[in-house]
Amino acid sequence: MAATTSLGPRALLASLRVTILQFLADPQWIIGSAAAPVVFALAAFEIYRFSSPELVLFAILGGGMMSMWAQTLYGSGWAIGQDRFLGTLEPTLGAPVDYIWVVGGRVIWNTVSGLLGGAVVVGVVALAYGRPLPIHDPLLFTLLFVLVMLALSTVGLLFTAIFVYSRYAGFVQNIGEFTFYVITGCMFPILILPSWTRPFSLAFPATWALEALRAATFTPYQGLSWGVQGDLLGTLVLSLAYIVVSIGLYRRVVHYLSDTGGGSSDDY
Amino acid sequence: MSEPAVEVRQVRRTYTSRKGFFFQEKVETEALRGVDLQVQPGELFGLLGPNGAGKTTLVKILSTLLLPTSGTAKVLGIDVAEDPRRLRPRIGLVLGGERGLYNRISARENLRYFADLYGVPAATQAGRISKVLDTVGLTEAADRRVEEFSRGMKQKLHLARGILHDPELLFLDEPTIGLDPKSARDMRKLIRDQVANGVTVLLTSHYMFEAEELCQRVAVLSKGRIVARDTVAGLRRLVGGDRTLEVEAYGFEDAEVRRLRALAGVSRIVTEEFGPKQRLTLRVPTGGLGVEEVRAALKGRSEVEIRERRTTLEDVYLDLVEEEAN
Ligand SMILES: Nc1ncnc2c1ncn2[C@@H]1O[C@H](COP(=O)(O)OP(=O)(O)OP(=O)(O)O)[C@@H](O)[C@H]1O
Ligand SMILES: [Mg+2]
Repeated sequence: MAATTSLGPRALLASLRVTILQFLADPQWIIGSAAAPVVFALAAFEIYRFSSPELVLFAILGGGMMSMWAQTLYGSGWAIGQDRFLGTLEPTLGAPVDYIWVVGGRVIWNTVSGLLGGAVVVGVVALAYGRPLPIHDPLLFTLLFVLVMLALSTVGLLFTAIFVYSRYAGFVQNIGEFTFYVITGCMFPILILPSWTRPFSLAFPATWALEALRAATFTPYQGLSWGVQGDLLGTLVLSLAYIVVSIGLYRRVVHYLSDTGGGSSDDY
Repeated sequence: MSEPAVEVRQVRRTYTSRKGFFFQEKVETEALRGVDLQVQPGELFGLLGPNGAGKTTLVKILSTLLLPTSGTAKVLGIDVAEDPRRLRPRIGLVLGGERGLYNRISARENLRYFADLYGVPAATQAGRISKVLDTVGLTEAADRRVEEFSRGMKQKLHLARGILHDPELLFLDEPTIGLDPKSARDMRKLIRDQVANGVTVLLTSHYMFEAEELCQRVAVLSKGRIVARDTVAGLRRLVGGDRTLEVEAYGFEDAEVRRLRALAGVSRIVTEEFGPKQRLTLRVPTGGLGVEEVRAALKGRSEVEIRERRTTLEDVYLDLVEEEAN
């Protein structure tokens, strides 16, 4: 039998594969989850459409971020929720591999589908605007856009662990959704928030990634940005921290499940 | 004697659930109250008991899904609480039922996923999957979505997953529940084949005939305690006889029941009522009390019907559970 340590990456790929197969078996649900943010972003765009191109871009970005975040939250709830719902949690926990690898595969898929959703939002609104947006460096813009989603994924990983304590899942999901819009400054500049919210914003890797994106896009940009490079470093450090905390948290979660017998409940 | 495949000592398990708006109210359920159990390698051991007895709880503890609240459980010499990761590749678990499978993908894909999780060597994986699909008779349905499967097919797929990584020991929780008689028989055959291949099996069941047909030894669990543990024949002796006499009439008088009870060789009498009729069930040993002696003891009652049959494990089980309830 293979050493259990080498099982992780294989389990991650297996989980990703099954997630994609499940998606392909029933791809239509994505229309619903992608449509809502588009509508939302179009509405926001209507408000800003006669402002400066910078403001329009700001609104578009906000819409894209909201879409990605909604996907992350939904996805991380479902990452463990599906195993509860299907009754596959116990068979999976009974396997000789850390559950975090299985979740990891699903988080990767969420990242990809979140990016697609975000790109669709940006694309649709940019089309509706019908004029070129002030993106000076499309390549950098794209890379940073992807980075935001990667940063969001580490948050998703952490949130999934929290969702295990299932009775609070819905609560966390609702609070989380709207908190994000506020603390990352999706819809209005982060600077107009009261200063006590700042630590919350800064504790969130996606804020840094988003600030990097904005700093690179809007010149001059007034936000929390420490310059693109500083923001990148912040994103990296915080994302790693989230992964490390997640690993520890998953150990606790699995212990919690075997301690309470909660692995069998399906009350996602 | 070699080391036992399963060794359970004084295992207790309490579930704590919370109620109320703020989950402030604690409710404790004692599912296992000091269980001792040994299963030998190569054995097919049956764990019986009524609903809520704690069978699933014990199986989950032994398969590392649940921690015992106290006591120790060793499987294949490994403490389930201390080293679950080392144990998992060596055991298989079938919790069964309608759930527990990825419905939107095929049976083969389900198995491929779990083969990866269990580290079935990549080189031999496809062959191994085809083989277990064949073993359980799902070759033709292998590439259909699981959501199209019947209950029996799902159960077979559960078993296929359980044996996929070639475990030394299999835990089967109610492997034939919900199956029609033919599928249940197929499943029992599959289980026997596993044992013939040297796999140790611990199964739980509600069906006494099933345990009787399959198991060398059984334990009866009731309210979290093992109330009996023996071979099927031994259990029959335990409740006083391998023959059962059923005596039916439109009501018995207390004096009559006392007279029957006093007869030599009657170890116990169970009284049941159905409709206007009353039935006394007597357990008697081979060579003990016969039909004629009972008829004589009930002199003058021509409408009495007396039947003799072999004591089944079902009888034993009901006696034990009833005893526990009193
Ligand atoms: N997760 C849980 N939380 C709280 N109580 C539980 C939990 N799981 C089981 N119980 C309780 O523990 C006791 C034993 O349950 P268990 O499922 O082990 O019984 P069982 O013998 O398998 O029953 P059945 O034949 O119905 O499957 C029952 O009283 C049950 O209500
Ligand atoms: Mg059960």
